[in-house]
Amino acid sequence: MTIAQVFDYQRPESLEQAVQMLAEHGGDVRVLAGGTDLVAWLRDEAVAPDLLVDIKQIEGLGEISDEGDAVSIGSLVTFTDVINSGLVAARLPLVSEMSATVASVGIRNRATLVGNICSAVPSCDAGPPLLVHGAIVHTFGRAGARQIPIDDWFLGPRETALAPGEIVTKVVIPVPPGGHGAAFVRLSRYEGEDLAQASVAIVAPADHRFRVAFGAVAATPMRARRIESLLEGKALDPTLVAEAIALVSEEISPISDIRASKEFRLRMSEVMLQRGLKAAVERLEGNGPSYGTNLM
Amino acid sequence: MRTDVSVTINGEPWLLAVESNDVLLETLRSKVGVKSPKIGCERGDCGTCTVLLDGHTVRSCLVLSVEVDGHEVVTLEGLDDEGLTELQQFFVDMNSFQCGFCAPGIVLAAAELLEENSRPSREEVQEAIGGNLCRCTGYDPIIDAVLAAADAGGRATQ
Amino acid sequence: MTTLRPFEKESTREFDYVGQRTVRVDGLEKVSGAARYVDDLDFGPDLLHAEIVESPHANALIKAIDTSAAEAVPGVTKVVTGADFPFKFGLYMKDRYVFAQDRVRFVGEQVAAVIARDPKVAKRAAKLIDVSYEELLPIFDPIEALKPDAELIHPDLGSYTHVPWFYPHEDTNVAHWRKTRKGDIEQGFAEADVVLEDEYTVPRYAHCAIEPHVIVGLYDQSGRLTMWSASQSPYTQRHLFAEALAPLGLTHKDVRVITPYVGGGFGGKAGVSMEIMGAAIATAVKGHPVKIRFTREQEFYNTYQRQGLVAHIKMGVKNDGTITAIEHIMNWDAGAYVEYGANVVNAAGLSATGPYRVPNVWIDSKCIYTNLPPGGPYRGFGYSEFMFGLESHVDRVAEAIGMDPVEFRRKNAIREGDILAYGAEMNPSGLIEAIDRTAAAIEWGKKETSDDPNKAIGKGFAVFWKAPAMPPNASSASFLKFNEDGSMNITVSGMELGQGYLTAMAQIAGEVLSVPPSKIRVETPDTDRNPYEWQTVASHVTWSCGNAVHAAAVEAREKIFDVVHRVHGYEEESLYLEDESVRSSTDPDFKLPLRDFVIEGLEAPDGTFKGGPIVGSGTFMPEFTSTSSDPETSQGGHPNVHYTVGAAGVVLEVDRETGRMKVKKVALAVDVGKAINPSLIEGQITGGIVQGLATVLYEDMRFSEKGKLMNANFTDYKIPTAHDIPDETIPIIIEVGQPDGPFGARGVGEHTMIPAAPIIGNAIKDALGIRITSMPITAEKVALSVMKEQASEGDET
Ligand code: FES
Ligand code: FES
Repeated sequence: MTIAQVFDYQRPESLEQAVQMLAEHGGDVRVLAGGTDLVAWLRDEAVAPDLLVDIKQIEGLGEISDEGDAVSIGSLVTFTDVINSGLVAARLPLVSEMSATVASVGIRNRATLVGNICSAVPSCDAGPPLLVHGAIVHTFGRAGARQIPIDDWFLGPRETALAPGEIVTKVVIPVPPGGHGAAFVRLSRYEGEDLAQASVAIVAPADHRFRVAFGAVAATPMRARRIESLLEGKALDPTLVAEAIALVSEEISPISDIRASKEFRLRMSEVMLQRGLKAAVERLEGNGPSYGTNLM
Repeated sequence: MRTDVSVTINGEPWLLAVESNDVLLETLRSKVGVKSPKIGCERGDCGTCTVLLDGHTVRSCLVLSVEVDGHEVVTLEGLDDEGLTELQQFFVDMNSFQCGFCAPGIVLAAAELLEENSRPSREEVQEAIGGNLCRCTGYDPIIDAVLAAADAGGRATQ
Repeated sequence: MTTLRPFEKESTREFDYVGQRTVRVDGLEKVSGAARYVDDLDFGPDLLHAEIVESPHANALIKAIDTSAAEAVPGVTKVVTGADFPFKFGLYMKDRYVFAQDRVRFVGEQVAAVIARDPKVAKRAAKLIDVSYEELLPIFDPIEALKPDAELIHPDLGSYTHVPWFYPHEDTNVAHWRKTRKGDIEQGFAEADVVLEDEYTVPRYAHCAIEPHVIVGLYDQSGRLTMWSASQSPYTQRHLFAEALAPLGLTHKDVRVITPYVGGGFGGKAGVSMEIMGAAIATAVKGHPVKIRFTREQEFYNTYQRQGLVAHIKMGVKNDGTITAIEHIMNWDAGAYVEYGANVVNAAGLSATGPYRVPNVWIDSKCIYTNLPPGGPYRGFGYSEFMFGLESHVDRVAEAIGMDPVEFRRKNAIREGDILAYGAEMNPSGLIEAIDRTAAAIEWGKKETSDDPNKAIGKGFAVFWKAPAMPPNASSASFLKFNEDGSMNITVSGMELGQGYLTAMAQIAGEVLSVPPSKIRVETPDTDRNPYEWQTVASHVTWSCGNAVHAAAVEAREKIFDVVHRVHGYEEESLYLEDESVRSSTDPDFKLPLRDFVIEGLEAPDGTFKGGPIVGSGTFMPEFTSTSSDPETSQGGHPNVHYTVGAAGVVLEVDRETGRMKVKKVALAVDVGKAINPSLIEGQITGGIVQGLATVLYEDMRFSEKGKLMNANFTDYKIPTAHDIPDETIPIIIEVGQPDGPFGARGVGEHTMIPAAPIIGNAIKDALGIRITSMPITAEKVALSVMKEQASEGDET
């Protein structure tokens, strides 16, 4: 089945040109980067744009750069670029670990990390790691540049704080000061490529101000603030971990669908939290399982 | 919307008139006449439409034809104009494939791996072809051949 | 890591080519990208495309169809509906129409088609077809469909034509009921020390060949219909097309089916499913080729599906381990149309004792209409489904009497000459050897523990069997011809589905004629040129068509010897072939290369030429089979040609918290009679195990309460990737020859996936103490079962 619907296509060479195209076009306009979600949606008629604005020709959006206390990832950076980046591996191992779990090579060679948070499906893999790192989404539109904290980014399934006419230029991900350990744990139906049925991202900084976020267990990826405040500054012991696990059912509200039942998602979120916390702390201490080890 | 796209396909320059809703997979098969990228799912799930775009595997069912303007596409037909690569010879000798429908995608995925990593581990081979579904073989005969090719020092493309 | 090795020439004393790990004759084409599948064929700018309009309802009357808006779309060539083709079709029972007539019976059923030169136009116009329906209450559960007051899905069932060995029950939803009775079942249970009964359920599954169904039809100006089809069954398709379209004046000679390489079948491309639409549509656009290529979604919901099963098993055993009786009641969710699927039900109904000696048998196998997509053939043909319950049950029965389950199977294993449930005799079999070698391969009896405290390791074991399910007169044929250089072309009409059939045929012919398989081209089918083959299903082509090719080669050899005798005077009995030459046992110096005369003949001393092109033809039909038996007992006939048997075992690691399972090791032994090519058989074992494991570990069709398939894609119907394979696969080939097989060979293609489900169920029980009786056994199901178990243990203490 081909793509039967009709739309226009433009390929601006600069950001200014791009936002102009977005602004001038009255109808439904979609930004096209890797296209791995968008082209499938076009075929399935899940979207019906009048115009696609392909931003791949725009200079400067494909960089990963060191900003001292943060790493910036441009909106054309693919998951493969992230995986291959020594900088990301060294400073944001959680983001590397997550990226390697996304789909498979042929998708990761094309799909961008920024596109993943723009698609904003509940199972979006990049959501939880960016949440725990407190990333800032940089956008550009006719009204100028904006910086949107990731906590304010996800509004609902496939719905974000990006305003009409705006383009994401990059996401800036702060590196926790001092050393840190982290873990991304993901539930899928088998070892192979699968959408996450639940996921958890954890950052364990040296001061034990833990950050925890879940994916695929609510309408959007979400921080687990009660768990975070319970754990804050403390050393993990079995009692504390048990208390944290007991909070999971208060934090998340998974649904049953054909991929997994609510009951299973909840129970596995508890297991993932437990295993993730253990791995993150061990990694902080320098003796955990190597990043990329499947903990499930 | 009709657009002219200039693209290098298997080393040859092509000027193609495409619609903005044309998908690369269909354009390759029906306008260019290159048949090795196969239609398996058309939504990025099976990998049988794999081509190399600027040297990297992508799903040609998820690429619009207009997007490849100014780029380079290589399909299995263009992997080696001399004949078979050493990797392909191992696939033949080890009876790796059965129905063969997945072969074009898997050969390209394995070739990309060996370009970047001449001595992959078994797990790295699994990861490299992890997005290419094969219903026939159970994968072992494919993985064995990639490892054998790497052992023999076979480079994917020359 | 399997023990698969690169191709290497091994010396065998007996044969030059049979038994060798010959490189596939189609390998180079497939690895180079040269291999052509139907969708790869070019038909030029005149090619039309058809988009199918489908029913959104599972059960509804069609009140009206308005096609006018679609017809008005510029670029639309033609719109067709059921009214254009009021023709019935079906393989074993004619219960389907080309397009729905006045009623639809499943979500996705074809109602109309829009034909246009541009597939995008066809797709847009198809949306404009307005069908008004009157919804009826659908039935999805076969048990509901059995109730006396259930609505009839096929009120006219009584009038349907079908093969004589089917027994439809008029005015019910039972399209066929196979009853097999042996001995005295009540007596059998009375003699037992332990009687155990339980229910096992198996959902529906999809074949998921990576190549979707594609059909191209051209009804040319002269009235001849040529079909290019991605099919396992070119001749059966030709027959069904000709039969269904006979009202249009078509005869068999006017219909031609061409089948190039096929990208996997697994039963899904057997018989005729969507292809009938292609044939019919072609007649509506005379002179233009027209293509239907199914999308992956359609592939899931409107080809065949593996049928669901609810099985009730009751087994009686003595304390010494002797099975005294098996009652096996199988209720099949066969779907909306059963023209092929009813034969799956039939096959299971004859063989649901499994490979055991059972004196008292009671089998009911009911083919039940439901408002789900049509069931049909799927690798394993019913056996995978019922062997899950049976082999789970056998473990439980053994446990109940305190006997080792492998020992229990050994004790009850069927042997050559034993009387089968329907009265015929069991063929030669290496079942005991298969059991012993499998048990050794997985170190049965040795308990293993994981280093990870969250994980438990269990072992599971099962035996399996399967016979080809065919009409009694299913047959094969082959033509063979030599070329000037001594190479050969062979035409057959079995399909190369990936199993390596063409290679095996080359090896068989090559062995008889001393020609290396690399010098033999075996052609894919074209019904105008290649001789007859029933279908490539039932794991029968190596055996059946192998016999035909063998016969063709022998005929050619006889012609060779005849001409050599006539010209050189050697007695025919003294002549033999070696290294592509004719030799004589009476004259060691005589060596006549085949290439010298297989086309041009031999020059006689008088300067004339004798012989001429050497050709051979061969056919095979199993003349000993019969389906005529007592409908109440199945006694009296000989419906199955032979059984292929084997055993499988697994070492499984399970995470108690997540339910995640890892196959550490799997061994599968199968008695192939004679391995024509061990490399190809290992391919069947490795691939079949992985396909089978997927059906138990994660594959599952999920329907909405309205009967719509919710996971008609690979995003949510998960099939194995390269990550989802056993750590180690041990293929074990056993060769207890089949007396009527080519070089002793029998079939193996389907069997390797049959034991996958019960070995997992049994290993889970071994690892965790939990018995799961419904497939699939997903990680979720295991984890939640462990939780429930822990909760109830908590309650007790
Ligand atoms: S056809 Fe492109 S991934 Fe399946
Ligand atoms: S060989 Fe058939 S799909 Fe891979």
